[in-house]
Amino acid sequence: MKPFLDFVPQMNDIDLKRIARMQKKMEKRQASICSERALLITESFQSTEGEDYVLRKAKAFAHILKHMSIYIENDSLIFGNQANCNFAAPIFPEYSINWIIDELDEFHQRSGDVFQISEKVKKDLSGIASYWRNNTHQDEVFRNTPETIVLSEKQGVLHRGGISMSGDGHIVPKHELILEKGFRAIIRDAQQKLNETIDHEAQIFYQSVIITLEGALVYIKRFSQLAYQMAEGEKDEKRKAELWKIGKMCETLMERPVQNFYEGCEVCYLVHVLQMLESNGHSFCYGRFDQYMIDLYHSDIQNGILTKEKALEIITHMFLMNSSHNKVRPYGHTKFSQGYPLYSNLMIGGRKPDGADGSNELSYLCIEAMNLTSMAEPNFSMRYNQDTPADLLKLAAKLIRTGCGMPSMFNDEVAVRGLMDLGIPKEDALDYCAIGCVETGVPGKYGHRATGMTYVNWGKVLELVLNNGKDPNSGIQLISLNGRNDNEINYESYDEVWDGWEKLLKYYSDLAVECDAICDRSLAKHDASPFASCFIDNCMELGKTLKNGGCKYDVISQSNIGPCVVGNSLAAIKKLIFDEQKITWEQLLSAINNNWQGREASYIHKLVKNAPKFGNDDDYVDYIVKDVFDSYLRLLPAYKTERMGRGPEISCYTMSTSNITSYVPNGLDVGSTPDGRTAKSPLNEGCSPTQGTDMRGPTAVINSVAKLPNSKVAAGQLLNMRFSSGSLAGDENLNKFVNFLQACILKGIYHNQFNVVDSKTLLDAKEHPENYTDLIVRVAGYCAQFVALMPEAQNAIIARTENEWCM
Amino acid sequence: MSDENKGYISTIQLYSTKDGPGIRSTVFFMGCNLKCKWCSNPELLTPDIKYMHFEHKCIHCGACVEIASNHSITFAEKGCRIDRQMCSNLAECAEICPQNAYEKIGFEISSEELVHKIMRDKEFYSVSNGGVTFSGGDSILQGDFIIDVAQRLHAQGIHIALDTAGNICWEKMKAIIENVDMVLYDIKAYAGEIHKICTAVDNTLILSNIKHISKMNKDIIIRMIIVPGFNDDMDDVYQRIVFIKSLGSSVKRVDILEYHNFGSGKYARLGIENPIQQVICNNYSLLEKVKKMACELGLNAAILQ
Ligand code: SF4
Ligand code: SF4
Repeated sequence: MKPFLDFVPQMNDIDLKRIARMQKKMEKRQASICSERALLITESFQSTEGEDYVLRKAKAFAHILKHMSIYIENDSLIFGNQANCNFAAPIFPEYSINWIIDELDEFHQRSGDVFQISEKVKKDLSGIASYWRNNTHQDEVFRNTPETIVLSEKQGVLHRGGISMSGDGHIVPKHELILEKGFRAIIRDAQQKLNETIDHEAQIFYQSVIITLEGALVYIKRFSQLAYQMAEGEKDEKRKAELWKIGKMCETLMERPVQNFYEGCEVCYLVHVLQMLESNGHSFCYGRFDQYMIDLYHSDIQNGILTKEKALEIITHMFLMNSSHNKVRPYGHTKFSQGYPLYSNLMIGGRKPDGADGSNELSYLCIEAMNLTSMAEPNFSMRYNQDTPADLLKLAAKLIRTGCGMPSMFNDEVAVRGLMDLGIPKEDALDYCAIGCVETGVPGKYGHRATGMTYVNWGKVLELVLNNGKDPNSGIQLISLNGRNDNEINYESYDEVWDGWEKLLKYYSDLAVECDAICDRSLAKHDASPFASCFIDNCMELGKTLKNGGCKYDVISQSNIGPCVVGNSLAAIKKLIFDEQKITWEQLLSAINNNWQGREASYIHKLVKNAPKFGNDDDYVDYIVKDVFDSYLRLLPAYKTERMGRGPEISCYTMSTSNITSYVPNGLDVGSTPDGRTAKSPLNEGCSPTQGTDMRGPTAVINSVAKLPNSKVAAGQLLNMRFSSGSLAGDENLNKFVNFLQACILKGIYHNQFNVVDSKTLLDAKEHPENYTDLIVRVAGYCAQFVALMPEAQNAIIARTENEWCM
Repeated sequence: MSDENKGYISTIQLYSTKDGPGIRSTVFFMGCNLKCKWCSNPELLTPDIKYMHFEHKCIHCGACVEIASNHSITFAEKGCRIDRQMCSNLAECAEICPQNAYEKIGFEISSEELVHKIMRDKEFYSVSNGGVTFSGGDSILQGDFIIDVAQRLHAQGIHIALDTAGNICWEKMKAIIENVDMVLYDIKAYAGEIHKICTAVDNTLILSNIKHISKMNKDIIIRMIIVPGFNDDMDDVYQRIVFIKSLGSSVKRVDILEYHNFGSGKYARLGIENPIQQVICNNYSLLEKVKKMACELGLNAAILQ
């Protein structure tokens, strides 16, 4: 394989063999569960009973950092670990414990996202379970959850992902600040503020900041000792020197500002690891890496202490080490986010706060590094706009062409407008980055998950519209449309159907907001993260943790799944029943209830399948899908977050279609739908056309999506497209693809990501996983190793229409 | 041009990247006055509505068999056997099929509507210096219509390419060429007899038309398909190349096309006999040789797969 896309090394300062070794190691890694963190936090909590919870979390964090095992990977220039070995997942019993104990014997037997677990670890975890039972975040959420929400979950409409049992994550620290100041200076700031304040909450906060940062400094110094020890025993002279350098670096790292590019990369990585260790979330992100690292890079190059080749090596090591982390989720949640994702987004390109395009040398190097990394993490994204250099776009296209699904492309013009519409000042909006998959926010200023609070299954809501609010599966009815308690309802006009949709959508969206609030109130305590908070505006000024209102911008959203299935269904109903009167309501329902089986049902199935479908540039249905989006957007201004008026400068709800793999399991809950979808099959992914219904190629998809209110979906509008590998082969096709990307800017597409691999390859990979450990696919806003996915998700990816570029 | 000006087309292929520069939309017009043995678009040979039958989709439900006039549809081992002469209600049969086993080919469209459809992708043309390509069949048989469409598109700055076999009188051809920017021109054989055997028509008009076109200051791409056993006589190929060379600098490129059998299934689906029964294997060393020959004469040649 050609190691570089475009890069031509001028000197021998990058060890490609070593990178290949690390890459192989990551590719073949095995997931396991580590009990160290769980034991240490239990020990610490037992010794701090009765103290303030935030303080207890801070102390526990420091305790963990002091005593957990640390290691430096054999080949790596970058270090920092959150569990005892490569790809092990730590356990966070303070968030939830029951499922862990319930699944102890099943982790290694899952059909996807398997985890090895030793008998000792099982024993360790069983041993601490009783201490945490009834005292976790999950328990508190559970206690406060009303019956209606439980029932709506049973219906399959609402789903609470991580927020009900895990940390929130979704944090991008202010990297500039960390690099410029170091931890010590922030400790001094906190100390000073502590001396000045009389507010109890603030006192606790500043104390906690000091404790966590001191803990982090201890952790770093432990690496100094370890590196020196390893250097002593090291035979290889080059490696010995590297270890000495690490040892020396860690004596003072973060005691003072960052000194050079290498230190900068290491610090970004360490902060990432430490945030993950502190709070059990995911989507801790690197933000605009090429922007905040470019000064260090330039000055090192000018001073002659760094070569381009070395820089590429360091970045690649840092990228690769992101695959050493892991997070374990309950099996039920794994279905919603498969492939061991951490969604550690790292973004390049895009405009600077002053509006000029910020692409720089590091943007190019990062693309090359991602090519060398060829793993699913970091989740690599790129911003672009009309001023993005064509050769940078072309390099990105070359990476996309390798089939790794990255970078995923964000359109500056739309994303910036979206954030500004929320009231975020222009220079901050221009500085946005991706957080997790497709959601966007302002680095160092956002405090909550832009997306992925409660998941709302719109496919199910539609099914309830057909059934008068009564779920045919569970028999549960929380609201009736015609006042009767059965599922019979006859609509006289399309407007009546539409009213039914709006009514149920409001009912369940209201419920979802209540659901968010219940989780958020508990997270304010259980997910208090002083370490992460002190790097986010305005926590230090306000003396508040993020979760309790410290962040500057508090923009959240739920995740709405299946808008195109809903729109396509409504279009089929409108056209066939009301406009053309080709079939009756009863005929349609009976065909649906028979899951399209039988002679009449299959004829009706054909008619609905032939009805207009979103993704073909057909105004009839495209504007109905737009109506569906608008119906939800109209609800948002009425929704308030828990922190409104308690710190943040902006608090509001927005919309997102970033839905990770949930379109697959959500589909399992939904019977046949009037768009011709069969029972249990997946819903559509993000705002992408339903699998296999876009027949007119990529430009038609773009034209359809362009009709949606994309900039209003300010927490991320996910569009996933698949191209066959042949369609990007050669320079001419590649140039046309670059043109295609440029046209997406003009068309106002929010985001676009690409799977480039032919279905034959995917089918083969499903049959022979052992030959395809290196195959990375775009799932939904993130990438995963194809072979780690569950069969249903694999099928959904195979079914996604393959765009051919020509006949 | 009056509003009644209608064209007959089968599809508009969006995001077409092989029919000229940039990102294009290719319009497939119905009707052709050649009859190439290797034609991969037999559904476009005549300008009437047709139905293809996809036997693999058929589940023998019997619905079409029951309503077909004169018992014209019967079960075959796979799919249905359709007596197209006898069947007077094929449209109804297609409509009733629950499996979409019939596909209707061809529809009438006004120039206004066609332009409207083409313009939906205008951003893609503009960023890529692409445009629209008239293909088929052979669109020149609907000369008045395509001139109308071309003029409307030119008014909006769209680049137009014409993909043609060129078999109409020069007077009509000239009027069309004046309204397009680029010509993709097929030369299938040099010797008249070979051409006649392969395409059922003589090539006198075809060769003289391209000579005229080459003087009109339009970009020309010559397309030269090589079908083993049909038009691969090396002497004739050489004469084709010499002829192309003589056309001068308007010829920007010669595309050497290999034969593909993507169209072979269509014959059966349309219920017509495929003139090529045998399996044809491309001879790649021959294609390379043709390319070399063309390059040696100073032509810019490429093999298109
Ligand atoms: S109606 Fe369709 S599926 Fe039924 S027999 Fe005819 S072609 Fe086959
Ligand atoms: S000129 Fe083209 S469309 Fe006409 S018969 Fe020949 S191959 Fe078919």
